[in-house]
Parts: sequence; structure tokens; C-alpha cells
Amino acid sequence: MIPVCPLANLPRGEAHRLDVDPPIAVFHTEDGEIYAVDDTCTHQDASLSDGWLEGCEIECPLHASSFDLRTGRPSSPPAKLPLRTHRVVVSDDTVYVVPSEEPPNLPPGVRAGTV
Amino acid sequence: MTARSLPPSVIATLPGGHYTDENIFALEQTRIFESMWFCVARASDLGKPGAFRTVQVGRESVLVTRARDDSIRAFLNVCRHRGARIRTEESGEVKRAFQCPYHAWTYDLEGKLIAAPNLTKMPDLDRVEYGLVNVAVREWMGYVWVCLADEPPSFEVDVIGEATVRLGDERAIESYDIANLAVGRRIVYDVRANWKLIVENFMECYHCATIHPELTEVLPEFADGYAAQSFVGHGAEFGEEIRGFTVDGSAGVDRIPGVGEEQDRRYYAITIKPQVFVNLVPDHVIWHRMFPLAADRTIVECDWLFLKDVVDAGTDLGPSVELFHRVNEQDFAACERCQPAMSSRAYAQGGVLVPSEHHIGAFHDWVINRLGAGSG
Ligand code: FES
Ligand code: FES
Ligand SMILES: [Fe+2]
Repeated sequence: MIPVCPLANLPRGEAHRLDVDPPIAVFHTEDGEIYAVDDTCTHQDASLSDGWLEGCEIECPLHASSFDLRTGRPSSPPAKLPLRTHRVVVSDDTVYVVPSEEPPNLPPGVRAGTV
Repeated sequence: MTARSLPPSVIATLPGGHYTDENIFALEQTRIFESMWFCVARASDLGKPGAFRTVQVGRESVLVTRARDDSIRAFLNVCRHRGARIRTEESGEVKRAFQCPYHAWTYDLEGKLIAAPNLTKMPDLDRVEYGLVNVAVREWMGYVWVCLADEPPSFEVDVIGEATVRLGDERAIESYDIANLAVGRRIVYDVRANWKLIVENFMECYHCATIHPELTEVLPEFADGYAAQSFVGHGAEFGEEIRGFTVDGSAGVDRIPGVGEEQDRRYYAITIKPQVFVNLVPDHVIWHRMFPLAADRTIVECDWLFLKDVVDAGTDLGPSVELFHRVNEQDFAACERCQPAMSSRAYAQGGVLVPSEHHIGAFHDWVINRLGAGSG
């Protein structure tokens, strides 16, 4: 379990980029849910924490694929592969993530361990 | 300029080359259009965040938009990566960001770089520093003005002062409540003439009786050739049997409430150097913005502004718009008639200004002064 930030530092509508390898994006939706997915879009090397959060979808800032934060699945092209999702734990007013054990779907040219 | 000996009643114009020479035009671009406040758009053209326009100011294409906080922003229309034009259309709307179509560098509505492929691998790239280059913006009278200079001159002196000096006092223009009028009609003219020919034409009325039959009918004093602009605070009076500022003298639309008795039934004209002309009549305002594109080509965007209620009610604006639309076409045809002659041997030393045009000499002095000015 990795600490992300105090809950107070992640207001609704905001994102936090966790600088692990590969990086993880943590989102606090307007509805008050907190989700964590891989930060790197599966289409090209773009940071999803720079994208646009709408409901529980994150839209990639580069070519507008949207991903469902609950499943990681893209709902529109050009991205085809899903993002990994990570479990979020909030305890003592701190946000933690439990990184997934699955292999990540990183875009071409991006490999874990090259950060 | 070579000194010419002229009879006392006339003074010299600029030599013909000033209207054709690309080097002189290039100097005008840097020392006038890129150094002064330049009126680019009606604020209502940028109706909501993300709405944008691209405009030519001097040598630069400028991207003007409205940010999330409703403020108007302007940037050089150049991607900071490898220089692609961000937008090429004249106007449009983006949802939340400007994205360069080449490698997808993405800028928010404040110009900050917010995303790019591999951007997280370049944490040393400052997102503001590598954001779009901002230019200064002001809003006045419902219009958006930009200034490309690093240190813009005083807007109060150069723009507000210029409009005010002509009318005698600041309240005179305020009474038309121009910021709250609505654009009833816009016509864009592509004029094959140097911008100075258009300014000079606007400044004199020696031509009025000859080329503006409809206007002279409405404003009979224009037949004597003395431009309304040569007297501070003077507005040309409507003819006795004229009911409104319309193509046939018929009644216009609802009068702007702030227009006082002394301004009623009168026409005022203002030049705000270098590229704005304003005409004030009791029920509307005609606002011209020039975009000089080349030594021999100028785009003029002209707005007819009326009370919002008048426009919303779908009132017939035809007779009001038609009057000055004809004046514009008549004036621009005259300018286009002069342009090809500017390179003639007959005009190498220029022409002459008759007494009712002598005040144009001050405009020429002003241009020459600016061209001589260092980088100002
Ligand atoms: S990089 Fe995300 S959709 Fe292309
Ligand atoms: S030139 Fe704009 S992203 Fe490359
Ligand atoms: Fe005219």
C-alpha cells in the first residue's frame, strides 16, 4: 500500500499523479468517489492526470479517448486497451493505493522501468 | 521627401511610394500596428469560453479567445514546439483547450501548456514558459483591443484620449453606451488599397458631394466639402426634411436613450489611429476596424450597432445599414481607383491637399514620425 496524499489535498474534481513506475493517477470525482488507474494513456505517452474528469470518466488530453475509471476500459477510440485499475484505501484522512499485480498496458515505446 | 514648391493653398501628400513600397509597409507593421493598441474583435464575437477568432495584426496572426473565468485572452497563433499555426480558421470554438494539429501540444484557454506526448518525461519544461505567447488585451466600448508591444503604450491616452479629443469630452461618446449595443449587421470589405488611402478618405469630405449622393442628402452641410472631423465637437446636422440616418431619409429605429438633445439629429465621426473609425448617429453606431494585410490590401470589418432590444425584436435595419454600406462601397471604390496610380510617374512626388483637406497633413506627419521612431 502506497501513501498518495492527505485527503484534504485532493479536492473533488482534482487529480494527483503518483510518481511510481509506471505512474499512477488518482482522481476524486465530483460525486466524491476516489479512483486510481495507470496515469499513462494506452494510446500514446500522455498523462491522464492532465486530462478532463467528467463523472467517472477521464478523457485523455491528447486524442480524447475516454476511460471508465471503474473498469479502466476506453469508451471511445483511438485507445483500444484498458488501463489497469488500482485499489484505493482512505484511512486516517490519507489516500493510499494498492498497486495492481497485472502487467500494465503501456503505449508503444513506453516501458515500465524507463522513467 | 523632396521639397516641392507649392502654391500656398495646397500642401503635399505623401509621395506615391508610401502607398506601394513593401519596405515602408513592413516598417508600418512593426512601428505602428505591432506597437500600438489595435482593435481586433467585438467582445460578443467571443460569446463563451473557448470561442475564438484569429486576426492579423502587423506581421502576426493573433488568436483571441475567452478563458474559463470569462476574461478575454490573446496569444500569438504559433505553437511553441515547432511553430505550427494553432488555428487557421477565422473563427470557431474549442471545448476546453487549443491543440496543435501537428504533434498535439495542448494549451488551456489561458495559454498554459497542459499536455503533450511524453511531457511527463520532460519535467524541466515549464508549462507556463512553454505556453502560448500572451499579448496584452483591453476591452473598451465592447471591443477587444490587443497590443503586441512588450510594453504597451497607455490605452487611456492613445485610445480613449484620441476618441475624446475629437468629441470635446469623454461623456460625449459615453452617452451612446456602445458597450451595451448589439451587432445588428456586420459587413466585411476586402479593399485593394493601402490602409492610409482609407484613413485619408475617412478624414475628408471634399469628395462627399461627388461620390456620396445619399449621404449628402441626409447631411446637406457635407456638400460644402468640410469634413465633420476638422472641428472638435462638431456634429453634422441632418437635413430639415430628414427623419433618420437611413438611405432614403426615412425614420430610423429607437434612439439610444443616453443621446442628449444636443447630439440628436447629428452625425459625428471619429478616427482612432491607426485603424478604427467610428460614426455616431442618434439610433446607431457604425464601427470600422481595418486590418492592413499588404501595401495594397486592407480588410475592413464594419459593424452596425443598435440597441439590443431593437436587434432582438427583429426590427428591419435595412434602410439604416444600407446608407453607410453604400458610403463604404463608394469610398472603397475611390481608394481602389487611387491605388494603381500610386506607382505612376505622375504621382512619384505625391499629390496635393486642398484647404479642406489640410488636416490630413497632420496624419501624414504622424505616420512619418512613427516610421522614424526607434522601436517605439
Ligand atoms: S494519447 Fe490518449 S488518446 Fe492518444
Ligand atoms: S508544432 Fe505544434 S505540436 Fe509540434
Ligand atoms: Fe466618404
